[in-house]
Amino acid sequence: MESDKYIVGHDDILLVTGATGFIGTKVVENLLEQGFRRIRCFVRASSDPSKVEALRAMGHDGAQVEVFQGNLLMREDCRVAVRGASIIFHLAVGGGSRSFPDAFMNSVVTTRNLLEAVASSKSLKRFVNISSFAVYSNREKSRRRLLDETCPVEKEAALRSDAYCFAKVGQDEIVKEYCEKFGIPFVMVRPGYVYGPGHDAITSRVGIDTFGIFLHLGGSNSVPFTYVDNCAEAIVLAGLQKDGVDGEVFNVVDDDLPSSRQFLRLYKKNVTHFSSLYLPHFVSYTLCFLWEKYSVWSNGQLEPTFNRRKWHAVWKKTYYSNEKLKTRLGWTPKVPTAEGFRRYFAACRTVEERHA
Amino acid sequence: MLKVALVGCGKIADSHASLITKIDGCELVGVCDREELMARQLYERFPVRRYFSDLEKLLSETKPDVVHVTTPPQTHFEIARRCLESGCHVFVEKPFTLYAEESQALINLANSKGLKLTAGHDDQFSPVARRLRSTVQSGYLGGPPVHMESYFCYEIGTTYARALLGDSRHWVRRLPGKLLQNIISHGIARVAEFMVGDSPEVMACGFVSPFLKSLGEAEICDELRVVIRDERETTAYFTFSSQMRPSMHQFCIYGPENGLLLNQDHETLIRLRGARFKSYLEKFVPPVLFARQYFAGSLANMAAFLRRDLHMRSGMGYLIESFYRSITEDAPVPIPYREILLTARIMDSIFEQINRRPVALQPDLEFPSGVLVHHNSQV
Repeated sequence: MESDKYIVGHDDILLVTGATGFIGTKVVENLLEQGFRRIRCFVRASSDPSKVEALRAMGHDGAQVEVFQGNLLMREDCRVAVRGASIIFHLAVGGGSRSFPDAFMNSVVTTRNLLEAVASSKSLKRFVNISSFAVYSNREKSRRRLLDETCPVEKEAALRSDAYCFAKVGQDEIVKEYCEKFGIPFVMVRPGYVYGPGHDAITSRVGIDTFGIFLHLGGSNSVPFTYVDNCAEAIVLAGLQKDGVDGEVFNVVDDDLPSSRQFLRLYKKNVTHFSSLYLPHFVSYTLCFLWEKYSVWSNGQLEPTFNRRKWHAVWKKTYYSNEKLKTRLGWTPKVPTAEGFRRYFAACRTVEERHA
Repeated sequence: MLKVALVGCGKIADSHASLITKIDGCELVGVCDREELMARQLYERFPVRRYFSDLEKLLSETKPDVVHVTTPPQTHFEIARRCLESGCHVFVEKPFTLYAEESQALINLANSKGLKLTAGHDDQFSPVARRLRSTVQSGYLGGPPVHMESYFCYEIGTTYARALLGDSRHWVRRLPGKLLQNIISHGIARVAEFMVGDSPEVMACGFVSPFLKSLGEAEICDELRVVIRDERETTAYFTFSSQMRPSMHQFCIYGPENGLLLNQDHETLIRLRGARFKSYLEKFVPPVLFARQYFAGSLANMAAFLRRDLHMRSGMGYLIESFYRSITEDAPVPIPYREILLTARIMDSIFEQINRRPVALQPDLEFPSGVLVHHNSQV
């Protein structure tokens, strides 16, 4: 990347929230590789000390990695953390909670606190909000099978019965609302499924093992994989690029996406073999429909965890595009999918062996 | 139409809102949270008329008949007091208050205003807990309880532990009983229900588990053993553990003739026959009788599921409905105030003991490492 295309100089302060996370660490690494010398990392007080130490150790050759341990729910912490920052890469997420209020608080309230803290900032040049593919409804699209940045976002996110989706939709809304209100330049980055060493789960877009046997639900669908290094590169570019990106949304998926069936075959061959049962799309759709109806009929005896909205978002046959990312940001996936899988499977094998 | 409001829009508020909105004859007229966004997210997901970030506005503009307080425990007393002063009946989530004196003050205020109160001890109203109560009332124990054992466990995962341990400002740390205060009410309330008098003897031993110690924690007790004895000499053991497996929610009650074993997780109630069989039959017959009871319990649960009557939060639903009925029909409150107070007093005594410095042990009486011994005390 050429530095004259950047909106900031190499000595400006760049704030990364969620910096000890799976993607956050790679974003910090990428920024250092680009020659930025003042990276401030906002990490939870409860972050794994070894990860915090690893972050600190990244600073070398005159580059500073400042670790700020705090809580995004505390307005004062946010005010201190954003002081002097030129770009904020907001990667922190609530993560993992199935509770709507918890997920909402740790995504929306925290983001609002950050935005309030930067509202009067003179130094901030861009707020990079890390969203997710989870926000897309994947229904009523103009081009039926293609999911890109123009596709509609879930309007009634609570009905998908997915706390993460609900929180992420809320986070995107508050970013737009506050950035428009306070004139904060912003970019939304929506990664697909980010994979790589350190994240050994199989995405539910391929299948689920909730019922004791792995149900393969993806079939011939493309899976919107993006290798963690490639995703971090896209996030960094979205933050740095000088022209024509403010207010834009960028989806992040790699090239040469495998189908769910191809991925599962590779996983079984390279990591561990296990039994799986393929459910064709019409079967998974019917089961989601029945589950949804049963939930209503039984007055919530079973939560509507599986429902048609979820099916559309996760298991419907869909293709993905990274054209905008390539043309507008000049992004190319540095790690080809074959190499990404090789590294990922090797890491998964290590985890399997450790468990064994 | 009973007008209901909810103050505090965190995790447990979802359960309240979901249940309240399913009860005929009541309406959720408002929800309130100091953080307006939190109030709004609840308002957007449930049929609620309005949302607020100011308690006074909620009370003055919606004029609720009942308020559910689902805020962090530190605020229960003040919010409940304010609601009572405004003429509302109040449902306070557990723990009812931080101290027994506050519980007493709320009860006095409610009585003086002719209003009603209840605590969120909903485990006591699950279908199996109700069966236990009616079996005890039928005289199955053969007299007053002799002894009880209450297990209330909580699996503390690494993520939660790190969140709690790494944050010196976490609200749980500011509770007098810290982590225990937020969790043990259910298990203590079960014991309090069957005890008499208001000043049982309580002996508590609390300590930090090796797991938490390994994460650098030295302050938060996540293991607790308690012995309680009331004026009638009924005794109880209470166990809280974050580490033992299975992580049980179980209650045993023994009378002079028979006993009962309640397993909350399995939703089973097992009758423990006091009479013995002759000779070797004691080794052959009781296991078969137990197997039959467990099998019947499993069938009953399946039947309830098929009838759409096995909801995870049915205890809370029953408690809320009973509380509303006590208001609309002027019936007795579902949890007698004596029980709420006794639960609070036992908890006060436990926290007072575990927060006190441990007694120095004589070398020849030394316990295994990690175990602290405390004074016993009368509530």
